[in-house]
Amino acid sequence: MAGAASQETFDVVVLGGGVNGAGVARDCAMRGLSVLLLEKQDLASGASGASSGMIHGGIRYMTSDRRVTALASRDAGYIRRIAPHLTFRIPFLIPFATHREEATLLDRLTWYATEVYVGTYDLFQPLKGGKPSARLTAEELYAVEPSLRPGLHGAVALDEWGIDGQRLCLLNALSAAAHGAEVRTWTEATGIVREAGRVAGVRWRDALTGEHGEARAGVVVNATGGWSPRWGKSNGVVVPMRPGKGVHLSLDRRHGNYGIICTAVDGRQMFLMPHEMESIIGTTDDDYYGDPDDLDATAEEVEYLVEGVASLVPSVRQSRITRAWWGVRTTIYEYGVEEDDLSRDHRILDHAAEGAAGLLSFVGGKLASYRAQSEDVTDRAVALLGKAVLPCRTHEEPLPGGDEVPVPSELAERHGVAEAIAARLVYRHGSLAREVLRVADDDPRMKLVVCRDEGIIAAEVAWIARHERVRRLQDLRRRCRLAVGGCGGLDCARPAAQVAARELGWSADQLRAELADLLEVGWRERRPVLDGWQLAEEELLRAVHRGLGGL
Amino acid sequence: MPSSTRIECDVLVIGGGMAGATAALAAREAGARVVLARKAPGSTGLSGGAISVAEDPASMPDTPFAARSGVVESARRIAATRPGHPYRVLRGRLDRLWNAVEFATGQLSSVLAPPSGRNRWLLTPFGHAHAAAACARTMASGDLAEVRGTLVVCGFEGHLGWDPWLVASGAERVRSLGAPEARAVLLDLFRWEDGALARPFDLARMLEAPGAAEEAGRMLRKALPRGAAAAVFPPVLGLDPEARVPERIAAEAGIPVAEMLSDLPSVPGLRLHRAIEARLAAAGVEVLQGEVRAASGPDVPAAVGGREVAARNWVLASGRFVGGGIERRGALMESVLGLPVLASEGPFADPSVRFAGRPPASLTLRDSRSPQPLLAAGLRVDEELHPLDAEGRTIHERIFAAGAVVGGHDPASDGTGMGVAIFTGWLAGRAAAGRAP
Repeated sequence: MAGAASQETFDVVVLGGGVNGAGVARDCAMRGLSVLLLEKQDLASGASGASSGMIHGGIRYMTSDRRVTALASRDAGYIRRIAPHLTFRIPFLIPFATHREEATLLDRLTWYATEVYVGTYDLFQPLKGGKPSARLTAEELYAVEPSLRPGLHGAVALDEWGIDGQRLCLLNALSAAAHGAEVRTWTEATGIVREAGRVAGVRWRDALTGEHGEARAGVVVNATGGWSPRWGKSNGVVVPMRPGKGVHLSLDRRHGNYGIICTAVDGRQMFLMPHEMESIIGTTDDDYYGDPDDLDATAEEVEYLVEGVASLVPSVRQSRITRAWWGVRTTIYEYGVEEDDLSRDHRILDHAAEGAAGLLSFVGGKLASYRAQSEDVTDRAVALLGKAVLPCRTHEEPLPGGDEVPVPSELAERHGVAEAIAARLVYRHGSLAREVLRVADDDPRMKLVVCRDEGIIAAEVAWIARHERVRRLQDLRRRCRLAVGGCGGLDCARPAAQVAARELGWSADQLRAELADLLEVGWRERRPVLDGWQLAEEELLRAVHRGLGGL
Repeated sequence: MPSSTRIECDVLVIGGGMAGATAALAAREAGARVVLARKAPGSTGLSGGAISVAEDPASMPDTPFAARSGVVESARRIAATRPGHPYRVLRGRLDRLWNAVEFATGQLSSVLAPPSGRNRWLLTPFGHAHAAAACARTMASGDLAEVRGTLVVCGFEGHLGWDPWLVASGAERVRSLGAPEARAVLLDLFRWEDGALARPFDLARMLEAPGAAEEAGRMLRKALPRGAAAAVFPPVLGLDPEARVPERIAAEAGIPVAEMLSDLPSVPGLRLHRAIEARLAAAGVEVLQGEVRAASGPDVPAAVGGREVAARNWVLASGRFVGGGIERRGALMESVLGLPVLASEGPFADPSVRFAGRPPASLTLRDSRSPQPLLAAGLRVDEELHPLDAEGRTIHERIFAAGAVVGGHDPASDGTGMGVAIFTGWLAGRAAAGRAP
């Protein structure tokens, strides 16, 4: 197929398979527009996949921008409605700390202010189905979270929602496809086609097959996130942005059942929170003007994060850090403002004045508001196209699998799998967990547990390979966290690759190349955090994959 | 402490993996009273069944197997080209390397096949041909350099753990180097849920059952293509060598049957571990369970699992990160005696570079396939295997180091892990027993 060029016509071409691009593609498709979504790597391989995995209501932005908080809270409620299986409660603690023996008047005032502030946030909680905050005494605080350092004076507890941001992104793309959109991953938009001061479409190239072609469209939406400034530059338009690098660390297990808000050495707020099977430490926020394809976490970033958490949870220093991961935020450009104070609002840029009418760039925003942001962009695209379309329904129609949340114990009994496996399947697939297990009903081999960290069985790998747009083995990192957990692929990578290869018709050589690629991605995330027991894991991983596998 | 808990001996070996076991057995053979202290079963139990000593670094990728250098010659070439490698440090003594390999494989001859001096080429579950100077008895007949005719690579119809087409591709890829044609077949085994979902140890036990191996052999015979010369199976052919699973399959099928090398968990690794246990007991090495930490060396008795061990000489065979002999908690350190970590490879083979406190990413290379200095970190030793300090001085005349605790090699990328363990273990054990090399 290499060398073949094709030409097709759509109403809208969306560039970027992050949550915003996928969200726009879904909204456009649901309103009846013909849509092409292009993503140069995999869905959620940028900032959407490297978010903190929360649809929080934006308590941080309450003073600077209440509109952002209200929007985020209301939309968090909508996400809960359309993907209930993918969300989970994370209770957060904001401990009252002081650096002296006795709390000063200023300390007490600060705590009081925090209580009032969180109390105000309670007004937004009903929008997202959250519970009201609670004031904990020191005794109550240590009862719920004994790992906190001594000498704290109590805390405020508040309620937020966690989510799998990668699957949220995927489900939007799958829903778009179900409504007729064409979704192409590992396919880069190599340039825009201009005609008479207008954008007439894009040229694209498939990174895996070499196929290329031209897709014509009335509107092109640039949702390439951190890649936008560079992409704009090479296409003759300016996309102003303050790209911010954010680094997270993962621990090998849940450190506790509460998220803990900590203060970093420079006074910034950060957190340690339980998230699915692990705990996450986050996050840094630093301007980053380099190539978003060439990011690594630095030793300083890792230490900054660990030190910030250790100030309240000293035992985190004994934890095993399994990986560092990172993304580039796309905050709106402002000069003379600290990174943290930049607005998380979003903006749509129309490039008509630059001779590119019909090209819209999407800047800023946050995961929790992706749907509302996408609705805005779709409204603008519809206006430009001047077409009669259906109303927006993305807040009403469930995402795939979101129509119902099956009870894991019932599934486990009906299909003869462990309840823990069924629970993970329900979490990832919602009502579609039944379909996944049906694969195993016909073939008992498919109940083979491939990954014990994440509870992945062979049937899930096969089902994902069949239905979830897998083109490379590393896509499974984002579909079901294959080789992402504590074992780094020691147990799971080869058997999962074998199952995926059968489904996707890979040759043995292709399988080995995909396996090597998968392991290389994991290595990049582990390099900055190789310490303690993680080094033992690395030694085993290398012995097996490099030594025995010759990969 | 009551005197009954005190043990007097000549040699205390710390660590129960291949290096520690070889050191203990070599010292015992030299007539010493030996105590072996270990905190857990050695990481040898995680090995895949190959005794990798050295692969010819001078051979081109298209050099036929038969034209490659022998194992000792390959080790000499590694010594000549890799500045920090233990073979380099011991280059004046490499003429004894083969004695060490023969000693260790002889001690463990219940499970290891005798080595030939040349590397065997064995298939792995990843579809790769791996070089090994010696290997498990159950694997020897799968040597790609020796099979004349078609090699039948077996998988199980009922179990997704191994993909015979992937495994067979490992032979196909090296066909031009002298490997046989490989043909993948699925045997209709483990079809029902108890087999389909079993872990390797359970599968191995199932094949031990009366009639099970014979049934597998009959299936294999039916599946044999014309010209079949040998068959390779997933590495689950029985937990107990006495059950003779490969031999029983071979007898029914009428061709030699071998296991491929194993990844984790490893049935062949468990067999090797058990063989080491048995050999240590038979040789009269006293094995103590317990961790030795914050010790002071042979001048002060060591506390091991509630006992006190007074030994004239110590052999540190505590492994690297898996074994726990080298740790990194903010900085790299040796964990039993707190010795400095000064040896690695690449730019860090230079003894003047103090890297122990550097951030991990700066001790690794971005391409995971490169040798990784952080993973090659360990003790710097002299030719007598005495650990050295930063100035290159011997830390203690009666402390010897052996195996992966010695730095300078990254076994995953250079394939010398078992060779270094055996050679340094043998030398250190003999030296600690007071026998001249």
